[in-house]
Amino acid sequence: MAAIETRECETEGCSSEAKLQCPTCIKLGIQGSYFCSQECFKGSWATHKQMHKKAKEDKNQDEAKNCVENDTNTDPWPGYRYTGKLRPHYPLTPMRHVPGNIERPDYADHPLGMSESEQSLKGTSQIKILSAEDIEGMTVVCKLAREVLDIAALMVKPGMTTEEIDYTVHLACTARNCYPSPLNYYNFPKSCCTSVNEVICHGIPDRRPLVDGDILNVDITVYHNGFHGDLNETFFVGEADEGAKKLVQTTFECLMQAIDSVKPGIRYRELGNIIQKHAQANGFSVVRSYCGHGIHKLFHTAPNVPHYAKNKAVGVIKPGHVFTIEPMICEGAWQDETWPDGWTAVTRDGKRSAQFEHTLLVTETGCDILTRRLDDHGRPHFLNQI
Amino acid sequence: MDEDDDCPELVPIAGNPLSPGEQIPVTIITGYLGAGKTTLLNYILTEQHNKRIAVILNEFGEGSALEKSLAVSQAGELYEEWLELRNGCLCCSVKDNGLKAIENLMQKKGKFDYILLETTGLADPGAVASMFWVDAELGSDIYLDGNCFYFVLNHLTEEKPEGLVNEAARQIALADLTIINKTDLVNGEELNHLRDTVRSINGLVKILECQKSRVDLSQVLDLHSFDNKDGVNLAEKLQLVKTTTRPHLDKSILTVTFEVAGSLSEDVLNVFIQDLLWEKAFKNQAGLPMKVIRLKGIVSIAGKANQVMLQGVHELYELDETPQVWGKEPRVNRLVFIGRNLDREILQEQFISTVLKVGDRN
Repeated sequence: MAAIETRECETEGCSSEAKLQCPTCIKLGIQGSYFCSQECFKGSWATHKQMHKKAKEDKNQDEAKNCVENDTNTDPWPGYRYTGKLRPHYPLTPMRHVPGNIERPDYADHPLGMSESEQSLKGTSQIKILSAEDIEGMTVVCKLAREVLDIAALMVKPGMTTEEIDYTVHLACTARNCYPSPLNYYNFPKSCCTSVNEVICHGIPDRRPLVDGDILNVDITVYHNGFHGDLNETFFVGEADEGAKKLVQTTFECLMQAIDSVKPGIRYRELGNIIQKHAQANGFSVVRSYCGHGIHKLFHTAPNVPHYAKNKAVGVIKPGHVFTIEPMICEGAWQDETWPDGWTAVTRDGKRSAQFEHTLLVTETGCDILTRRLDDHGRPHFLNQI
Repeated sequence: MDEDDDCPELVPIAGNPLSPGEQIPVTIITGYLGAGKTTLLNYILTEQHNKRIAVILNEFGEGSALEKSLAVSQAGELYEEWLELRNGCLCCSVKDNGLKAIENLMQKKGKFDYILLETTGLADPGAVASMFWVDAELGSDIYLDGNCFYFVLNHLTEEKPEGLVNEAARQIALADLTIINKTDLVNGEELNHLRDTVRSINGLVKILECQKSRVDLSQVLDLHSFDNKDGVNLAEKLQLVKTTTRPHLDKSILTVTFEVAGSLSEDVLNVFIQDLLWEKAFKNQAGLPMKVIRLKGIVSIAGKANQVMLQGVHELYELDETPQVWGKEPRVNRLVFIGRNLDREILQEQFISTVLKVGDRN
């Protein structure tokens, strides 16, 4: 769990605490450059500006060859300072088409991808209790979502691009008469989310080939017969290092421990306490900006299920509730930021993050994992890769 | 490339959440057209003061715009900024778009000393407040300072369709501060009656009066209504609150307060509050469910040396330890409820029989 370190001013001879940073260095991607005050900074400006000069020269050399290699652009937002090594690989293929006979959610045809049905319920904390018919619909769609994820799992290997995985997911959905829920949801451009290494969630599939040692999360949601089913798993690409194994294993355990506690009467706010306790015990942190959610006829709705401890989530778990738990656990600190694409969430410190998700139906005595794996003794895929 | 030789202005280190002492307060201002709200805000913006105050005007919280303008005042100068409201994933994001937009702006352009948010008169201050009343764990740069409702006499007394009168009452119920403007147009008796009406709805709210929208800024800012810095004041205020005594007006909003000596079990207290706020499990004598809009109190938790503050708006609530320690006097729990269909006897009875029983040892 990274605490905020106190930094020392860079000026030679000055050891005051630094709370300010040079904005030009931020722009040029120069790490550090912390100073205690404007006056002190001015004092060392003559030497400091040499760093800018050098960084610009280096950049000019790289620019010509780096960015557009083999028609792939890995620097679509000049000036953006990446938190880790991952880069987008543009351009993306055009938005995929879904055959007309497949039922579409309301946002699929909205110009901004907005869901009127979700907006009309925004802010309410009333949690729907599903009827027997609704439960049947959810059971079916979650099973289909699981099938699609299992197919995606087969594609995970070094050299495969995330766009190729997305294409497979897209075809698997349409073959099952499902609409891939992420497609055009608030204008998301692809049919699933692929999150590599320091990406916490909502990674956009692109031209980047997977590299041996990567960890990859594939998040699948499908829409069938008026219902959505949502799940995700983190996989190893090729050989995983010990740190990756520990992170992924712990994240999976966080999810399963939370699921084990789900039964009528438990408060939704309690789940975050369980998850954070286990994550912290293993030296990891819990992402706070994204949380689990109710899901049925709407992709995202009440309840809100934060994964961190001491949260103010409203609601008591009752039979007939359906929701997801999807903890995102990090090697370093939990703070996140978003790429200029408006979607890709990455850790601020560039360290890796893993995630697992299930859609759950609350029963009288506990819950059913609607998205559980039916073969291989229900084990998550990564356990076969260790 | 000459400008590169100029020494740029340093910016705060990104990603460092501010410690509680450095967080920026937000006050939400609601009020009707014609109350003088905009005049007040313009007055605040143009008045000379040393603070960097941002005022976000109107329609905040309405989701569809992609950009919102923001007027910023610094040393009496006014300029405009733009908040980018990214349309990204509204779905499972814990922080509201508007909140994130303000945080992003502050990272780029530096911190404000204060943020005032004006909403349209009929916006639900509870809903807007919940956008800013985020869990301390989220490490936001912003904290909710309070709700301010701005109105004139007419809004409460005029013969209006019932809906509108109820609306004003609801706004008062959720307010931490109300400002009554144009008091120069009102005679002494009417003003007293107005103050009484406001008090009967909300026993805790601070009342300010003014003419021509001129208020003393120090009375409006730093209300600390939602944090535990005000612990001592809160305890004193709670002692002064009285339960509303009015002839039976079922649909009106009232204040109910009681105090009970002893210590409580935190778990059972949580269940009591959740049953009250979420399940709406308590009914008044007429069989109508009690609907609590605002909840404030100081409670004694068995085993904790510090006084614990209780705070609730609609269904959101929080228990927070204050820096105040219980002294040698017997510990007394004081609670104030503001809402509809509240019955003091029933509430107090339920409280004593469920919560107090278990944690009876001091």
